[in-house]
Amino acid sequence: MSKHDQLFLYSTKSILVKALVVASGVITSASAYAQQAVPCIGASIPLTGAASFGGEAIKMGAEIAIDEINAKGGVLGKKLSLMSYDDSGQPPKGVDNVRRIALSDKCIAMLGGYHSGVQLAMRDTVSQVGIPYVGTTAGATAIIEQEGGQNKWMFRVSAKDKWVAQFLVEQAVTRSKNKKVALLYENTGWGNGGKPDVEAAMKAKGLSLVSLETFNWNDVDMTPQLLRVKDAGADTVIVWALDREGNQILRGMDKIGYRPANIVGAWGLAGNLGEIAGKLANGVLVFQTYIWTGKLDPKGEAVWKTIQSKYNLKTPQDIKMGSGIANSYDAVYIIAQAITKAGSFDRTKVRDALFQVNYDGLVAKYEPAFEKTQERQDAILPKYYKLSAWHDGKLLPLSETPYK
Amino acid sequence: MSAIVQYLLSGISIGAIYSLIGLGFSIMWSASRAANFAHGDVVMLGAVLAVVFVGQGIPLILSIPIVVLICIIYGVLIERFAVTPFLKEVTGIGWMLSTIGIGIMLESFVTITFGSFAKPLVTPLIEKPIIILGAGIYPQELLIPVFAITFLLCLEIFYRRTLIGRAIRAVAFNQMAAGLMGINVKLMTAISFGIAAALGGGAGILIAPIVQASATMGLLLGLKGFAIAIIAGITNARGVVIMGLLYGIMEKFIEGFISSAAREAIGFTVIIFLLFIFPQGIFGKKEMLKV
Amino acid sequence: MSDRIIKNYFLWLLLGLSIAIIFLPFILSNDYQLRVWMLLLIYAVVALGLNLVVGLAGLVSLGQAGLLAIGAYTASILATKFGFEFIPAALAAMCLTGFFGVILAYPTLRVRGVYLAVITIAFGIVVENIAIEWSSVTGGTTGISNIPKIAFFGHALNDVRFYYLISFIFLISFIIHYNIRKSRFGRSMRAATQSEIAVRSVGINPISARTLAFTLAAVLTGIAGALYAYLNSYVNPDTFRFLDSLRYLLMVILGGSGTVLGPLLGAAILTYIPEFFQKFGVWQHFAYGALLVIVIFIMPLGIVGTIIFWYGKFQPKRLYKSNQWPALEPLVDTLIKQPIEKSQTCLCVNNLTVRFGGLVANNNISENIQTGSIHAIIGPNGAGKSTFLNCISGLYKATDGTIIFGNKNISGLPMHTLAKMGIARTFQNTELFGQMTVLENVLVGFHTKYKSGLLATIARWPTFTKEENHFHVLANSLLRYVGLDDYAHEEARNLPFGHQRRLEIARALAISPKVLLLDEPAAGLTHTEIEDLKRLINSLSEKNITIVLVEHHVEMIMALSNTVTVLDYGIVIASGAPDEVQENPMVIEAYFGSKGVTNA
Repeated sequence: MSKHDQLFLYSTKSILVKALVVASGVITSASAYAQQAVPCIGASIPLTGAASFGGEAIKMGAEIAIDEINAKGGVLGKKLSLMSYDDSGQPPKGVDNVRRIALSDKCIAMLGGYHSGVQLAMRDTVSQVGIPYVGTTAGATAIIEQEGGQNKWMFRVSAKDKWVAQFLVEQAVTRSKNKKVALLYENTGWGNGGKPDVEAAMKAKGLSLVSLETFNWNDVDMTPQLLRVKDAGADTVIVWALDREGNQILRGMDKIGYRPANIVGAWGLAGNLGEIAGKLANGVLVFQTYIWTGKLDPKGEAVWKTIQSKYNLKTPQDIKMGSGIANSYDAVYIIAQAITKAGSFDRTKVRDALFQVNYDGLVAKYEPAFEKTQERQDAILPKYYKLSAWHDGKLLPLSETPYK
Repeated sequence: MSAIVQYLLSGISIGAIYSLIGLGFSIMWSASRAANFAHGDVVMLGAVLAVVFVGQGIPLILSIPIVVLICIIYGVLIERFAVTPFLKEVTGIGWMLSTIGIGIMLESFVTITFGSFAKPLVTPLIEKPIIILGAGIYPQELLIPVFAITFLLCLEIFYRRTLIGRAIRAVAFNQMAAGLMGINVKLMTAISFGIAAALGGGAGILIAPIVQASATMGLLLGLKGFAIAIIAGITNARGVVIMGLLYGIMEKFIEGFISSAAREAIGFTVIIFLLFIFPQGIFGKKEMLKV
Repeated sequence: MSDRIIKNYFLWLLLGLSIAIIFLPFILSNDYQLRVWMLLLIYAVVALGLNLVVGLAGLVSLGQAGLLAIGAYTASILATKFGFEFIPAALAAMCLTGFFGVILAYPTLRVRGVYLAVITIAFGIVVENIAIEWSSVTGGTTGISNIPKIAFFGHALNDVRFYYLISFIFLISFIIHYNIRKSRFGRSMRAATQSEIAVRSVGINPISARTLAFTLAAVLTGIAGALYAYLNSYVNPDTFRFLDSLRYLLMVILGGSGTVLGPLLGAAILTYIPEFFQKFGVWQHFAYGALLVIVIFIMPLGIVGTIIFWYGKFQPKRLYKSNQWPALEPLVDTLIKQPIEKSQTCLCVNNLTVRFGGLVANNNISENIQTGSIHAIIGPNGAGKSTFLNCISGLYKATDGTIIFGNKNISGLPMHTLAKMGIARTFQNTELFGQMTVLENVLVGFHTKYKSGLLATIARWPTFTKEENHFHVLANSLLRYVGLDDYAHEEARNLPFGHQRRLEIARALAISPKVLLLDEPAAGLTHTEIEDLKRLINSLSEKNITIVLVEHHVEMIMALSNTVTVLDYGIVIASGAPDEVQENPMVIEAYFGSKGVTNA
């Protein structure tokens, strides 16, 4: 085809491009206009990718809570809805989702997601657009306790890694006979964020870790790291990992013939560690904010029944990231209460009203949920932290197992 | 001392995994100068299917041939529809992108149906570790290098002594000439991809007890396997197996003496440097041009 | 004249885009949508750069995310830790990524295709892991936050102004991309991928072309990375993974690899698609994979590429006619005429030996080739004739012996260097740039004669435009010389075989050679074409070009040559005037066997 014709084509295409631009602008603006409905709660969660189980859990808890609230007539006479968007663990997606939820969907509030890295990236944007944010899983301390003390919009109904670290260190040190404690942490935003918290917690007890070792996701063999931990003589190990790597840690220990007397883990080990590690998982203690196995109180029973029927799960063992469900459930109720107290769908008023919410929830008795310090924009206090233990493939509350 | 033995043993185990995956790439590449870029996902498929079947109550012994058969079918379908149709192109990335796309679809599908959690495949070979010179290793882990070398030997016999094997080598050498000799080139290519897929699926079943089956297990393994095959000189099967083992051992020593965090960065940098120095691969052959 | 039209069409396109860009913020209803467009334009810059590498240079890069990371981190670190302003931070980002672009081009010296893809993938993974591990500098997995807004003269840019800054940079990138593409640099990149050997034979080092492509792509990705960091005010390693590199490649392919608008279209679609795919909930990633597969199967040329393809199909088929050749062309005369040399010997070959493993293709050959003569090399098949030519032209390196050209020892020098010194050649299997037009094929031959450099080309200084026009005129003249002027805008691969050979000769003449090596130029030509060829060779010889001719057509050799050298099994068995050689019993035996009879 001659140059002549090629060039004619370019100018035609330029017209096409212009038309496309105008059209898309009109379409998107039109659709945005249609969404005047404000009683929605947005959520940026991992729906795809390796952490989709975490996103699903958050979605489950939120959906159940919203259904219950709507069944009772909704909030301020309006029914709530959930706008969940996938961030697949990627910070820029999370940041975009905040804007989308706030500016395009115009939701009254939003729920935080699973990955700490994503929430950290969202901080600037959340405060720029000014939307009440309530975290449901990601535990990095810096999400809520921000530098400069300027956190005006971000709250959390979930664990705070600083407190989790203190909790785990407490559990570890109390049980340790020689006070030699080691830390194994995953080389991710979560793990790298937890490490300084654990170090600080040890320091507060006048101790320091005898060994710190890290590993990557999908690592198959941790023997080099474990050899070093063994050589350091630790009788207690704190594990900041997910089940898959936790299993490799336990097996690695088995291979080198090293089994510390105490293994205490963060909630990454609350999935299916017992299933994949078998007997090796017995006695591993795991932190959670809520335990669905074992004896449940009436509130928990009721929600569990809903989970069973709505999501077709047969036993509580089938629940992955159970803490996430409970956190998210409580978070939605707290937001709903704040909206009611605020009396309108005004974001600033709702944000202010959050400080006045008292709520008897699944995870804790929130009296009140939040106080006006950055540290207390985390709702779940350490006294509500729970310890579970793996026993014969089941993760049960510690008291219901033979371990101490 | 036992630490070094530990690094060696663990290294041989993980290295053998790379060898198996690299070998799959080598078999495919030798037949058609292309491959299923997402071969790592075939490994994942084998692992996941094995877990699913065993979970349904089918004993492992029966599951293995069924799973391998399914993988063979998958591999052949990929070759027929996603690889060979693109081999006539000039830039030659058509098959790369099509197989990557299909890999993404498979991975997502498995994530949605199987779940994103890792699930175990229990065999008696991971119950207790064997202790050698103070270092521990599961029998299942030792099985992998044994299997890799055995398969390699069988492959060589197949290529040298059987009619089909020789036909495949002819196709690898010169497709047009082989076709003119009456060899069914399409069939030979399909068989090659089938063998590679069987190897991949089998490898998946073999490593599942150790690494656990999960939807995302294939991506990095596949990339590493491919890179290792290339730096070995991808048409040289022996070279690929050796290179895999060496790479695994190198990784463990890096983790042992430097840090586990540095492993990928250093490992891939080594790959880049090796390719700079040996563009045809360390054990590969230089090609002469005829004008 | 046609070039002015080119300029005008592109200018209209540019104007259209600029208007659309300027008015966009007024159409959009909220900040979120504006940010989507900002992101889109940043990705479009990355895609434009990648288009140079993939679409023009025909290479695969699956490591752009690594380059984007380097750009983003450099800008972030300089902005947050050292308080750099935007422009110095961006410039630093571009320099550093440009440097890595040069490094990434180095492997293309010896590998292409999948091998190169693996190197780029490995590069991306290394960068990602360094970003994770080098936490003192990069913040590790936590990343770098609180990147300040871009400010000029103390005033921070709001979203709309930031959008205009990004659009401005996009438009500049768009112009640079176009100006490179429609210039000798773009042509040499495309040519290098279609025939690396041919490109060397006209004096172009393919590595330079590829390095340029990679470096430009890297620099564009660098500025995109810097803008990206400022846009998000946060960077961490999670954004720069293999799947992201894959997405940028998909943008180029989906839009239309090698086209002008393709990268923008691809970036637009792939930035909007995730918005659209959110509907699919957990199936989004699956849908994304399906999209990739569908694009590759149905539209491998991309959207823009497919449109151009079908548009071309619906054009009425023209019948081209070949004209009388060699034609009288004064411009060509001036181009190719060589001065009468004082020394008699042009090429002096001493004890040339070439071994391939156990096979000795050329065995101790010594020959002198006289300036301005027509020197034929003949011999049975497998005698080593092509090997001999390949040595002289620099394609092969001799195992032993020397070659002196003029008074320089050229043994072992690479082909492109020899081409610049004045040795041109054609090939036994025609090596044309098949997917480029006939005119472009000849223009590539002029590449090394241009004086205007990269900057002049990108900025379209008047010096560039004058040169471009000048060489266009010259190229058309050369085409008339070989009678192919009617075919000027036809793709070279569509030419009939005989015409392809003529084109190769025209291209070879573009470098104004002192020596022209012709490798079986008459093979496959009709009788009339051979007569024309003989006239052409004589005409060239009259211009004092030394011709070395490998041929089988005996009467052509006898009619044309001053000297004939006969090779058999790699050694010279006879050399001298055509009549002598014809009578030589060894020659007769070599051709006909010991019982052969000559036809005097």
